[in-house]
Amino acid sequence: MSDIFFELSVRSVRLNFLRSLLASIGIVIGVVAISSMGMLGTNMQLSVKDQLSSNVNTVILTSDVVKVSTTGGSAQNGIDKSELNDIKSSAGQNVVIPIHRSSTQFTIGSTNGRGSIYGLDPNDIQKFMTIDQGTNIKGGNDALVGATIASNFNIGVGSSIKIGQNCQSIVRPVVRVAGVLTARGITSDNVNADNAIIVSDQWYTDHFGDKDVYDQVNVVLQDVSTINQTENNIDRKVNRNTNVIRISDASSRLGTITSTLGTITTFIMAIGGISLVVAAVSIFNVMMMSVKERIQEIGILLSIGTEKGEVRRMFLYEALILGLIGAIVGGIMSFIIGYTVVNAMIGSTTYFFRTESLIFIPYGMIIGVVVCVVSGLYPAWMASNMDPIDALRNE
Amino acid sequence: MGTPPLIQLVDVSKIYHLESGDFTALDHVSLEIGENDFVAIMGPSGSGKSTIMNQLGILDVPTTGRLLIEGKDVAKMSNLERTHLRRDSIGYIFQKFYLIPLLSAYENVEYPLILKYKKRDTSGRAAEMLHAVGIEHDMGAHRPNQLSGGQQQRVAIARALVNDPKILLCDEPTGNLDRKTGLQIMDILCDLNRKGKTVIIVTHDPKIAEYAHSTINLEDGRVVES
Repeated sequence: MSDIFFELSVRSVRLNFLRSLLASIGIVIGVVAISSMGMLGTNMQLSVKDQLSSNVNTVILTSDVVKVSTTGGSAQNGIDKSELNDIKSSAGQNVVIPIHRSSTQFTIGSTNGRGSIYGLDPNDIQKFMTIDQGTNIKGGNDALVGATIASNFNIGVGSSIKIGQNCQSIVRPVVRVAGVLTARGITSDNVNADNAIIVSDQWYTDHFGDKDVYDQVNVVLQDVSTINQTENNIDRKVNRNTNVIRISDASSRLGTITSTLGTITTFIMAIGGISLVVAAVSIFNVMMMSVKERIQEIGILLSIGTEKGEVRRMFLYEALILGLIGAIVGGIMSFIIGYTVVNAMIGSTTYFFRTESLIFIPYGMIIGVVVCVVSGLYPAWMASNMDPIDALRNE
Repeated sequence: MGTPPLIQLVDVSKIYHLESGDFTALDHVSLEIGENDFVAIMGPSGSGKSTIMNQLGILDVPTTGRLLIEGKDVAKMSNLERTHLRRDSIGYIFQKFYLIPLLSAYENVEYPLILKYKKRDTSGRAAEMLHAVGIEHDMGAHRPNQLSGGQQQRVAIARALVNDPKILLCDEPTGNLDRKTGLQIMDILCDLNRKGKTVIIVTHDPKIAEYAHSTINLEDGRVVES
């Protein structure tokens, strides 16, 4: 390096090695905090996004509007048969799946549990779910169980489940497990089957009522690019008079979830950023000490014709060197710690090596260096504006 | 109209505003120093020797009056112009040597060249200057704290000379040296004067002042007749 001021800065850092090292450790911690938090958040986002994206071709239709039947029937909310027909007619070639859903208590052997119960046309089940063991619903009392229930209650094909509140005075209906579903994880089609029992729509309405009133209708698109067009068609048809059906899709839900996760990531990164503020104070302190210790040297430099800008540059280089040491060590440690944390918290490092995850390492490093240089601005300015006569007199 | 004197002080006063009241360090001083002069400035402590050196070295500007170097009024110069004038036209030799502790002897001499040309010296001038003041090549790699007082002062002289300034300002250059070394340093300064440098030396040692062509005596900030 031919720049004498950089050389002077390097030597000053080397002369006060321990002090410089300790100040840099602050930057290392800051960089690691920001980078690994950023990577963790991004990995979380990517992981959730990928899981949700598997059902991104599904439009979810629900209704919260309570309808009171004009014929004196009970109040109900949901999508009725005529609305379902409207949906079917406006959905074109896409698959329309009406879904009954409720929450129920159940008993397996002597153990009580609680979960969702879905009533579906058996023909629809395999259009969006996979059966891991056994077969699809065939008989009236057949049911499928989600992977979580199957593993938690240690049940398999042939097991019996009593559905409903465990009350001795009531004889509860019993279903037989015909098959176990493959785990679906977090889904964006609003069918959380892992902790659910799936029965036929017939069985459901026989025992839970709500015949021809559906809690949810899913439209599985054949071509995901037609999602907006399909939604508009359905909306125009079913909500032509009043806005009774809520239309949502995985992409908007995905957007909401990822933006929430993004906010959380930013928040935890900001907490990590606090450590950088502490580091900045420590760098500022070290730089002030360096200036105070070298007052006479600054006096010599100024008196023999060094420009103020050159003195300023010398101290900014020093801050830059501290920043670079902190950033480089911090970058390497961010990689190791980030990898470990992501592996421990998400259980997979599939997304770790993606650009959007690893980019947080250079981000953190740049922020670390900038923080250092900014912390050195005032000390450098102070050094360059010293009166050379006073500075020379300083012992 | 002839060429102006190298250095001209016209009715220069320097007043420090202290809490205890104003202190006049230089009181209406007027003098001229020409090219190739060898001037000694003498006077007791507090007489204004250091203040006049700071003025001559353009480290400070007069409160009133004018200081002209090569006919140019330093008070009218920008900060950067004064810095460049210090770098190019004035060589400093201090009592305490004031070498840059983080640089080797050679780098200390090279430093003013780097300031001027913004690059490391490849002309060999720094090494030549070190050799001229009697510092051997292998001593050049030593840091100032590894050198004796006499060696440090020689390095400081080499540093002062490396940009070929017209003026050499020496503030008690032998004050921290033993008699023999002090005389060697004075011999170097005399030699430089013979080669055309204007040497201004502040001292309270009459024996050192004898080397000069003329002596300016200061008392309470005023020039007095010797």
